[in-house]
Amino acid sequence: MIVFENMSVTYPDRERPALEGVELAIGEGELALVVGPTGAGKSTLLRSVNGLVPHFSGGRLTGRVLVDGRSTADHRPRDLADVVGFVGQDPDATFVADIVEDELAYSMENLGLSPPTMRRRVEDVLDILNLHSLRQRAIMSLSGGQRQRVAIGAVLTAAPRLLVLDEPTSSLDPISAEEVLAALSRLVHDQGVTIVVAEHRLERIVHAADVIVSVPETAGGVRAGPPAAMLALSSVAPPIVRLAQVAGWDPLPLSVRDARRLAGGLRQRLVVRPAAVGRPTPGPVVATVRRLSARYGRLLALEGVSLDLAAGEVTAVMGRNGAGKTTLLRHLVGLRSPEQGSVTVQGRKPSEMRPAEAVRLVGLVPQDPASMLSADSVVAECRDADHDASLAPGRTRATLERLMPGLSDQIHPRDLSEGQRLALALAIVLAPAPPLILLDEPTRGLDYIAKSRLTVMLRDLAAEGHSVVLATHDVELVADTADRVVVLADGEIITDGPTREVVCHTPGLAPQVARILAPTEWLTVAEVESALVDSGSIR
Amino acid sequence: MARRLTTLRVAPLHPVAWWAWAILLAAAAARTTNPLCLGLILAVAGWVVVSRRPQSTWARSYGTLLRLGALVVVIRVVVQVLFGERIPGHTLFTIPSLALPSWLAGVTLGGPVTADAVVGAACQGLRLAAILGCVGAANALVSPFRLLRCVPAGLYEIAVAVTVAVSFTPQVIASIGKVRDARRLRGRAVSGPAGMRGLAVPVLEGALERSLALAASMDSRGFGRRAVSSTRQRLASAATLAGLLGLAVGVYGVLDSGAPSGLGLPVVGVGALLVIAGLVATSVGSRTRYRPDRWAGREWVTVVVSAAALAAVIVVGRRDAASLAMPVYPLALPAVPPLALLGLLLAALPSVVAPPPIDTSVR
Amino acid sequence: MSADATRHGATRFTRRGALAVAVASLVGLAALSWPLFVHLSAQNNQAHAGDAPWVMAAIIPLLLVALLGEVTTGGIDAKGVALLGVLGAIGAALRIPSGGTAGFEPTFFLLFPAGYVLGRHFGFLLGALTLFASALVTGGVGPWLPFQMMAAAWMAYGAGLLPRRRGRWELAILAGYAAVACLLYGLLTNLWFWPYGAGTTTSFSFQPGAGVGHNLARFLAFDVTTSLGFDIPRAVVNAVLVLTVGRPVIAALRRASHKAAFGAAVEVPAALVDRGSSELRPVPTPRGASAVFAAAEDAPDGAQQLRR
Repeated sequence: MIVFENMSVTYPDRERPALEGVELAIGEGELALVVGPTGAGKSTLLRSVNGLVPHFSGGRLTGRVLVDGRSTADHRPRDLADVVGFVGQDPDATFVADIVEDELAYSMENLGLSPPTMRRRVEDVLDILNLHSLRQRAIMSLSGGQRQRVAIGAVLTAAPRLLVLDEPTSSLDPISAEEVLAALSRLVHDQGVTIVVAEHRLERIVHAADVIVSVPETAGGVRAGPPAAMLALSSVAPPIVRLAQVAGWDPLPLSVRDARRLAGGLRQRLVVRPAAVGRPTPGPVVATVRRLSARYGRLLALEGVSLDLAAGEVTAVMGRNGAGKTTLLRHLVGLRSPEQGSVTVQGRKPSEMRPAEAVRLVGLVPQDPASMLSADSVVAECRDADHDASLAPGRTRATLERLMPGLSDQIHPRDLSEGQRLALALAIVLAPAPPLILLDEPTRGLDYIAKSRLTVMLRDLAAEGHSVVLATHDVELVADTADRVVVLADGEIITDGPTREVVCHTPGLAPQVARILAPTEWLTVAEVESALVDSGSIR
Repeated sequence: MARRLTTLRVAPLHPVAWWAWAILLAAAAARTTNPLCLGLILAVAGWVVVSRRPQSTWARSYGTLLRLGALVVVIRVVVQVLFGERIPGHTLFTIPSLALPSWLAGVTLGGPVTADAVVGAACQGLRLAAILGCVGAANALVSPFRLLRCVPAGLYEIAVAVTVAVSFTPQVIASIGKVRDARRLRGRAVSGPAGMRGLAVPVLEGALERSLALAASMDSRGFGRRAVSSTRQRLASAATLAGLLGLAVGVYGVLDSGAPSGLGLPVVGVGALLVIAGLVATSVGSRTRYRPDRWAGREWVTVVVSAAALAAVIVVGRRDAASLAMPVYPLALPAVPPLALLGLLLAALPSVVAPPPIDTSVR
Repeated sequence: MSADATRHGATRFTRRGALAVAVASLVGLAALSWPLFVHLSAQNNQAHAGDAPWVMAAIIPLLLVALLGEVTTGGIDAKGVALLGVLGAIGAALRIPSGGTAGFEPTFFLLFPAGYVLGRHFGFLLGALTLFASALVTGGVGPWLPFQMMAAAWMAYGAGLLPRRRGRWELAILAGYAAVACLLYGLLTNLWFWPYGAGTTTSFSFQPGAGVGHNLARFLAFDVTTSLGFDIPRAVVNAVLVLTVGRPVIAALRRASHKAAFGAAVEVPAALVDRGSSELRPVPTPRGASAVFAAAEDAPDGAQQLRR
């Protein structure tokens, strides 16, 4: 279906190629998962499949890329629209119509299909992607996961034999992401579409993959192979694979189901109770929320929420979209002032403070860290932040260096990766050393490496005596990072307790390790590994 | 009822039919200053809007345009009171005169204010307000997206760009809110020039990134695939250019009485036809339309009743021009032209004929 | 980041397109300013004076669609369309809070840097489109719209003609131009409104048949008394915005234009270079078994006749 023959790509004004000597063949009906660290060239590889590289991006292509027998050298993306469907990261940036149905028909109109064909395909795709109840809806009134499914549907109507998706879930919350990945695996299994997808959330899709294409940092090392073999060597792997490596399972299981079958022995080997792995006891209370209620128009967002946040503690706020997580954080940081109830941070009300003062008390990293960045280089951004919060010059830059060593000074903030951008925003928030630090959905778009780095950062902050609050859907992050979990539903706190207790007793919130090792209450690979080392069963 | 309509799609009235209805009604409004006629036109347009407008942001604009209409009436009256030409009539009160600099061509300020002048000005203002009401009705009744789907082939690219702009606007507004919050989170000023600067850059950068992603998506979905058949394209283009030249000559003809009599309106008409022909004839290659809006009985009824309203007003104007005007100098009660009023009432028919709107925001 | 990326601008008109802009602009200007130049004898001016406003109101939209159709058909690619749409959306969003309050219309502000950086042709399209999109969003489509679109298009086109300077002068020139252009915009759109808005019974109403000088003076009086109070603050606001926000906005636009690689060279394996970007060649119809849909259902050839 796709053949890369000694393909190299060099972008304009760049001396070194982004990809070099790629030799690759992906067969009909396969699901190829492209993995690799951020910035290694995954996007370049995917975009060269339908000719966006080089026709759209500019630059030089040598070697050949053949898609269904057509060379991308003399077929522009639009000429390949009926063979390759391309879906990008952000569904909102792909829409040209306002109503779902019209969006689905757009590419067929460009292809000039006959109206009866268009009608039939739209109906088909509505069913395949389970969108039929949304057909008349304005796209902007849909949730993130629904929108991404519409974006996939919009390329699917052109009846491509190949679907290319560049991190289709990176701008979605985990629940929407699962919805989209489930749709993809249906497409592969039921419809036999060939799919090439780059994805961070390997745990959801890896079991469906036929091939893993690894794109390492070095330009010349693109390689493909069967999933288990590739993951065994890869630096990026889901918890299940790392657990398997610790436990020495062979063949590598790729789904929780397979892993549970192999896990019997491991459960017995783990003689210690996980609760023995302790967390430091929390310090004094930093922030207090009392009977807080909030509403948006007639919509109730929070109802009688009371909460104490302690120094040295990482608290995860979980719950579905619209449960009130973000509203709670906005109150804590003072973006909203409480209509009913009270919010105090170290005895002061953040909503009544001047912004320049409030940043020394409480800091929030918003969902989209890029919205905080307005300068034209990393160093200028740090300089502005020092100035805004009247800090000693160089303070923010030093904080950033600690969070993410070796980031270049002159790079434009918009050219940073998601993880680097998050680190920069976090550095700006952290530099005034506020005792309370809030992060709203921080793992959006982060790969495993960036996520584990974030975990270390947050644990360090808690150890230094900050109180850290995460609003997140990401159960793996919660398992790795949080001491305490607060679950919101319809604006009310329904659960508040230690992480292990809450997530192990709530199946929807359990991380992979807990699901594999249930009913024993293990949460992370690291815990299991150190327990095994302690008991002497591995070295 | 609402539930049934979302599953069974009743095609909304053709956007062009709504606009034709509104323009014809506005043309009728333009031919009269009789407050009875103008009031009826406002009422008819308002009634149709109330019964057939969809739940959407642009539908709320009707109120805005009505308020603008009221403002026009007020401005017109105030201007008349301050700067009006002084013609004797029922003097209401007198404001002191003020001589303005001589280069202002004899404009006078103040003087006696007559009831005739005020009522006359108010009725002229009301005429503009009625036109605004008709236009506002069309704005409220037609989704801009549907309207943009009706443009001729020659305007395809620009229509796509406008569609993108309209659908992206709410996202820009949301992103302005986000950036504003983020600035507070950094402890920065939110207002003033510094605030504007901090706002402009992240919003613009975000939007520009979006535009590139959108372009990639459009390109991958076959945008610009139209095969330009060059002879047809050249002909269409030539027709457009000739039409432009025709309009140029026609404008000269209309404006200059010294020009030959055939050079005015007829040439404008020919030019207009050529322009439209050029736009329609532009090659679209193999592009097709998904479920295009249909022009059926309802559409005809809508246009015909509105045309009838205009015709009634024209006929009355030919027979008895005075009955369509508000009598001032001397001031009197306005005439009641039955034929015109009846015709205008007919234009309310779309409130029954047009299908009720579909709600696109919720299931 | 050099000017290279922006030298050609984001879109280019053909020679025919440029001719269309010239003709349409001339006719448009005539149609806007007809009350000043109309020179009629007393007896037939009544008929003409009655027709003229309506004829002109119909001509401008025609001019505009002809023009836009002529310059965009096949002459603008996906990047140009997307950039137009997104920048138009920002303009429209800026229009919403202002709501005509005391002339504070930052809508125009973006047109100046955009025309300057992305080229006069792109500016022309953006000016027209911004006004159109904002009218659609705010429900302000009306007879005044084509005139506003035309005037805004000229404004942004002019920004593309400004001399290129570096450093301080760049902003000063742009801000000065912004102030003048905003005042002219007010004057032009007012010129359109004058015959209708001032009625026929005030001392600065349009007088059919009076001389150019006489009507010009009356018009200026109308402009000074009714709208200069809005136009001057608007000009000041936009000029100040250019001075304060212009630099980062220009930088952002240059960066975007560079990233979008307008006109960047595409190099592909040697034998295929020429065929790569020429006209669309017939592409094989997907007769092969599609994964999702049954084969042999497509009939692009039959599609033509079903097009409306």
